[in-house]
Amino acid sequence: MKRKKLLALFGAATLVVSLAACGDDDDSGGGGAGGGEGEPWILGTTDTVISLDPAGSYDLGSSTLEYNLYQTLVTVPPNSTEIVGDAAESCEYPDPKTFTCTLKEGQKFSNGNDLTSSDVKYSFERSIAIQDVNGAAIYLLGSITDTAADGTVTLNEGAIETPDDTTVTFHLDKPDTTFQYVLTYPGAGAIVDEDSFPADEKLNDEEIIGSGPYKLSQYKAGDQAVLEVNEEYTGENTAKAAQVFVKYYSEPSALKLAAENGEVDVAWRSLSPPDIADLEGNDDVTVATGEGSEIRYWVWDVEGPVGKQTPVRQAAAQVFDRESIAENAYDGTVDPLYSTVPPGYPGATEAYKDAYGEPDPAKAKKILDDAGIKTPVDLTVGWTPTHYGPNAEDEANEVERQLEESGLFDVTLKSTEWEQYQTIYREGAYDMFLLGWFPDYPDTDDYLSVFLVDGGFYQNGYTNPEANELVAAEQGTDDQAQREEIFGQLQDIAARDVPMIPSWVGKNVGVYGAGMEGVEDTLDPAFIFRFWLVSKNS
Amino acid sequence: MTRSGAGSLPRYILQRALLVIPMIWVILTLVFFVLRVAPGDPVSAALGGRVSEDALDERREALGLNEPLIKQYFDYLYSVIRLDFGTTFSDNQPVLHVVRDNGGATLTLTMAAFLLALLIGIPLGLLAGRFRDTVPDVVIRLFGILTYAAPIFFVGYLLQAYVAPPLGLPTSGQATPITVFAVEPKTHILLIDAFLSGDTAAIEDVLTHLLLPAVTLGLLVAGVFIRLVRVNILQTTQSDYVEAAEARGISRGKVSRRHAFRNALVPVITVIGLQFALLLGGAVLTESTFNWPGLGQKLVEYINDRDYGAVQGIVTIFAVAVVLISLLVDVINALIDPRVRY
Repeated sequence: MKRKKLLALFGAATLVVSLAACGDDDDSGGGGAGGGEGEPWILGTTDTVISLDPAGSYDLGSSTLEYNLYQTLVTVPPNSTEIVGDAAESCEYPDPKTFTCTLKEGQKFSNGNDLTSSDVKYSFERSIAIQDVNGAAIYLLGSITDTAADGTVTLNEGAIETPDDTTVTFHLDKPDTTFQYVLTYPGAGAIVDEDSFPADEKLNDEEIIGSGPYKLSQYKAGDQAVLEVNEEYTGENTAKAAQVFVKYYSEPSALKLAAENGEVDVAWRSLSPPDIADLEGNDDVTVATGEGSEIRYWVWDVEGPVGKQTPVRQAAAQVFDRESIAENAYDGTVDPLYSTVPPGYPGATEAYKDAYGEPDPAKAKKILDDAGIKTPVDLTVGWTPTHYGPNAEDEANEVERQLEESGLFDVTLKSTEWEQYQTIYREGAYDMFLLGWFPDYPDTDDYLSVFLVDGGFYQNGYTNPEANELVAAEQGTDDQAQREEIFGQLQDIAARDVPMIPSWVGKNVGVYGAGMEGVEDTLDPAFIFRFWLVSKNS
Repeated sequence: MTRSGAGSLPRYILQRALLVIPMIWVILTLVFFVLRVAPGDPVSAALGGRVSEDALDERREALGLNEPLIKQYFDYLYSVIRLDFGTTFSDNQPVLHVVRDNGGATLTLTMAAFLLALLIGIPLGLLAGRFRDTVPDVVIRLFGILTYAAPIFFVGYLLQAYVAPPLGLPTSGQATPITVFAVEPKTHILLIDAFLSGDTAAIEDVLTHLLLPAVTLGLLVAGVFIRLVRVNILQTTQSDYVEAAEARGISRGKVSRRHAFRNALVPVITVIGLQFALLLGGAVLTESTFNWPGLGQKLVEYINDRDYGAVQGIVTIFAVAVVLISLLVDVINALIDPRVRY
């Protein structure tokens, strides 16, 4: 899309991201320092932590702690996709390529140091300078960075300005409304203390300093983390518990036993579907469920001899029975997904349901007959047993059953270990293969651009100039109504061209014992476990 | 066997000690190349499925993973010689810190399991040998076979599901998170630190957490000891000196207690070195089953993450431990029996 058109989209007037009301007016308290009079509680999880220094993290295990230990400029409130201020009082797009935030006054890190715009600038500069392979900054901050041929990522000259202690201005190299959403993710936008964190290397996990509701008191990698109330915190997210213990488990079965035996107060990520079903019948614990955002989908090799035929892809989509997959492979612990975008995200539709309706082999046969394609079509379907949990096999078998029972496909199922899988699916080993996605930032764009632009991140060969243009357009405007309209168009294109077939969206499941309160409040698609909302009253 | 080195115990020890170096080099080399032959690398393990192949390649380039393998190998050997095991790729920890922080848990588990194995295996083995082909012998032999043959994760699960709940025993971890937080880490061995703290509640907490994992792992080795001791006691009681003693009118029970039992236990010492390797292998499975924060569990995680440096470091530590224990056993044997000083 042309620059002039983008500017027009933004309009002559400044488009303000309404963050002034970032202070929640709910009962979470506010304004007071510290908090945390409640009893300590224990969270059990199978997530692993890569790094507690934001410069080295791009994973859920790390961000779960980081959301509670650091502030970002903007953040996502529970059960919302509208961002609000965290360390920022307000943020705005004065023009399509400029994003400016004003910090709240008087904020401090847990060590008592002032949090200023200089810390914000330093945080971005060091994350990019360190360019840790496990860090999100070099992948998500493309609007303010440049990547050289040798892989070196550098911050654009003058990309971040701090005219005073409370103002930060980002100069983007292209109109990018998703930038504000990226800043909610700690791996890309957490603010660190410039006097504590080295500029050119990561800080040891045990030594990290943040300005969030909690501070880190102990960290034993792979074993446990202990968080205590940050007395210097003056934001709205007042902690209810004085201490939160996070206990790490290597196996879901061990986590389930720990939840049953009361060794943890909350079990969150990731219990297996059979374990969840089993715990639902246990009177000693409560299984709480919120909307999720983790999805599974089947990708077509659009350049392969089978997948290059659009009618074949459409016919498969026509017989694809998501209800059966959710029920037979996952014991009903996941929801059928009828679009690349899960429900709850702005602009999400049920494009595949609209396009294909109920699973219908007769309609699928007609699609193939009309295209003159002989049946059964030989189809090699790939999946991996070592990355998406034990139920991936059940899903693969269910898909094989559905396709073969239609009489239109002759399926050969193939599986291989994840490391090998990643390589060979790109080399065309499968006509269709299973993948999963977890969003980087809470915006619908993160379910469209990554799948539809130039073959998607999985590089399946699908290209559609119309989709590329639409993605550029939605990224270049902050008009939410217009964006949602474009999101709808993109989902329709996906359903029509079928570069992939969405399968299911997971739920955000937490299991908690007696006396726990507030767990349901934080189970939302953002997958942020907000420790400050949870309390224990035994 | 000749005694060419008769009286040369120091020389024997030196020879055995020098053999440790090539053994460790072979292990290091094997681990290095096996890891790299396996599909994937730390970059794809960490970021695969999230970023494009081009971005993955850029990271490989930046990390030097595209360097010639032989160069990487010699760089690695050079760093190991300097005792520099580097930093883990996947969670940013110095490898030696990983060993320090998790080695204590593995040591605690293996030592407790070993002690239990001795306490269970030796008396039962002696009993089975003493009452050969009787009901107790059959029962003990069956028990020994079962404990040795049953998969660790299965035994662990049975204990977690059916023993822990009625007894109120914990099923995972080395202690409650609150105890781990409260006990000051002086030695990085939680059990010892708990004792040093003098906090009886902490000691009790650590011991109750240790019980089921130690029993699970101990039973595996106890099965070996039962069979070993039984066979040795049978051989010993059939030896000439026992027959001679009985011919002189000394009762069989007295001969067994005073002479046969003691001699039957000597070969057990030899086997201890081998069993230590078995214990470490078993510890990997036991730690995974009981979420025990030891080196075995970390090793599994790092293998999944293709974390070359971490896996190489931990395997090296395991190898050194086994080799040194073997060396120690050889030296003890040489002290007990001069015939082995070849």
